[in-house]
Amino acid sequence: MKIWQFTEQAYHPAFQVPGPMRVTLPQHHCDPVEAGQLLNRYLDEYMLADELGLNIMVNEHHAAATCMSTSCMTTLAILARQTSKARLLALGIPLANRSNPLRVAEEIAMVDAISGGRLEVGLVKGAAYELFMSNRQPTGFMDRFWEAHDLILDALGNQGENFSWEGEHFHYRTASLWPRPIQQPGPPMWGTASSAASAREYGRRDYTCATFLSGAVARSVFTGYRESYRDTHGREPSQDKLAYLALVACADDTATAFARAEKMRSYFTTAARLDPQFRNPLGFNAIDANVRMLQAGSAAMRPRLRNGQPLPVDGTIEQYMDAGLFFVGTPDEVFEQLAAFHGETGGFGNLLMMGQAGELDHAETVSNLTLVARDVAPRVAELPDYPTEIRYEAVG
Amino acid sequence: METGWRKELDFGVLSSVDVLGTAVEMFTAGSGAPLLFLHGLDGIEGAAPFLRELSQSFTVYAPSHPGFGNSERPARLNRVDDLGYFYLDLMNLLSLDCPVVVGTSFGGWVAAETLTKEPDRASHLVLVSPVGLPTADRREQYVADIFMLSRQELGARMQLGPAGVGSNMATLTKLPEAELQRLMRNDEAASLYGWTPYMSNPKLADRLHRITVPTLVAWGAEDAIVTDTYRNAWARALPQASVETIAEAGHRLHADQPAQLAVRIAARAGR
Repeated sequence: MKIWQFTEQAYHPAFQVPGPMRVTLPQHHCDPVEAGQLLNRYLDEYMLADELGLNIMVNEHHAAATCMSTSCMTTLAILARQTSKARLLALGIPLANRSNPLRVAEEIAMVDAISGGRLEVGLVKGAAYELFMSNRQPTGFMDRFWEAHDLILDALGNQGENFSWEGEHFHYRTASLWPRPIQQPGPPMWGTASSAASAREYGRRDYTCATFLSGAVARSVFTGYRESYRDTHGREPSQDKLAYLALVACADDTATAFARAEKMRSYFTTAARLDPQFRNPLGFNAIDANVRMLQAGSAAMRPRLRNGQPLPVDGTIEQYMDAGLFFVGTPDEVFEQLAAFHGETGGFGNLLMMGQAGELDHAETVSNLTLVARDVAPRVAELPDYPTEIRYEAVG
Repeated sequence: METGWRKELDFGVLSSVDVLGTAVEMFTAGSGAPLLFLHGLDGIEGAAPFLRELSQSFTVYAPSHPGFGNSERPARLNRVDDLGYFYLDLMNLLSLDCPVVVGTSFGGWVAAETLTKEPDRASHLVLVSPVGLPTADRREQYVADIFMLSRQELGARMQLGPAGVGSNMATLTKLPEAELQRLMRNDEAASLYGWTPYMSNPKLADRLHRITVPTLVAWGAEDAIVTDTYRNAWARALPQASVETIAEAGHRLHADQPAQLAVRIAARAGR
């Protein structure tokens, strides 16, 4: 298992402002000098991750105090230059927030060139509530997503003459990337899934499939991926094709680790602060999906505790650990927890680790990353890629 | 399965009409001169009491717009401008040569688009709380942004009377699946046609001069969705129309004052 450092780069001083943290939070609550200091601090921590032999994952959000990275590729353009070893993962570039897919391809190519071919890319839908900022048309989104996706891949991998594109949704007289990406036909592609059904598409496409903070559901996501991969390609995928995102709080002693986890916990409580009308803009989700969500109720979307109950948003550290969203303790304890979860889910080769979250400060983050890199990463690197028959025994 | 909205429309016939390969849900009721009713975001079911009143004086034809209710939608039909042409085709198919055309809110926009294309196709035009003209000028909004409101707040602001069934999450989640499907289709269609530019066609004002049939624009005196500035913009863009403001009515004037509105339309149309 490889470990990727990830932080949402929160403007945590705003967490004290009552009310929503997204869409409607007025920008006067942001002190730009403090924001700049925080962004530089998070970049320092990414550079430390590189020195420690960890990989790097960056995301983006919009109009949110919970995440100040408003462009994956802007953040990664800096890290492409300032790191030397780490793989650099954009997970992901939200196509619902991009009006110009050729521009997306240009930014991918430029960062891949600057980094010497270390970029990995997830093209994702994007958070539904961010349509209020991009104002892209909510309806028919998936058709536009796949056309943009196809155009971006064609542009990245083109080794022939420049081409024109007259699609249903996008129109270009000439597509020409200067620079073009070092990696050919393009950087490794990722996708995100929260169900077996959505994972199958990535299995078919041989993309790396990540699932975020999904706990026990990760097992079915990975199973769906493995099934479609086997059906399409006639062989088992290596576990490098599967990834899980969770928080990690590690320290020399358990009590300190829990104290760190407590500071990171505000990631969960602030991420959920959003007025309900923005969660699901009319027309973005398919009608059948909306009907199912309404019938199931909001608790159905929550990860589960081992007793089957939904994980409360303001749950305890122990509850977040129980649900498989948080790994907390000494390096030995974190390793044991990760190894157990790895076994329960049938195995995955990438831990997308929130090694900084919420209000965890710089010194604590440095310690957290250092311990994980030194004492956990070498051991999880040895976790076995289970043979099929053992895996199915493990997943039950 | 008999669902609530079907019971509300038990005074007429629900059928399907094939419009050049698109199956359109059509409600017909009453007798007398033909009247084409173009519904708002609340669907034909949201206008049931009003349609009942209209059917006392008219043969009412009330289709669900493509994408709403149980009506199909051609893949590239995605602007209200397109709906204008679609309704001319539908009127040709049904031999509705010169009906009274009535549209409420979003349906008023559809009616205006239709009549700018063939101004002679109606005997009378009635726009009830219409949208369709630009709803804002840079930072100044003239029409509440329904997409930024919670279901509860939107439901409460649309009319003075009780809110629609979709505005309460507790009752919404317990609806039969067919009704949920229908509400979600209506929501999706609202987003398709109205997301951006918000509930408007920037070109509509320049075309409204083509409407030459007798036209009435009716507003609810207590409309909490559109502002006075917006009503004045309609008056300027359509100076040939009469304007009436009806007391004790909100944006869904047809829901708050169905009988009064129907009587005024019948009087206008000489029925």
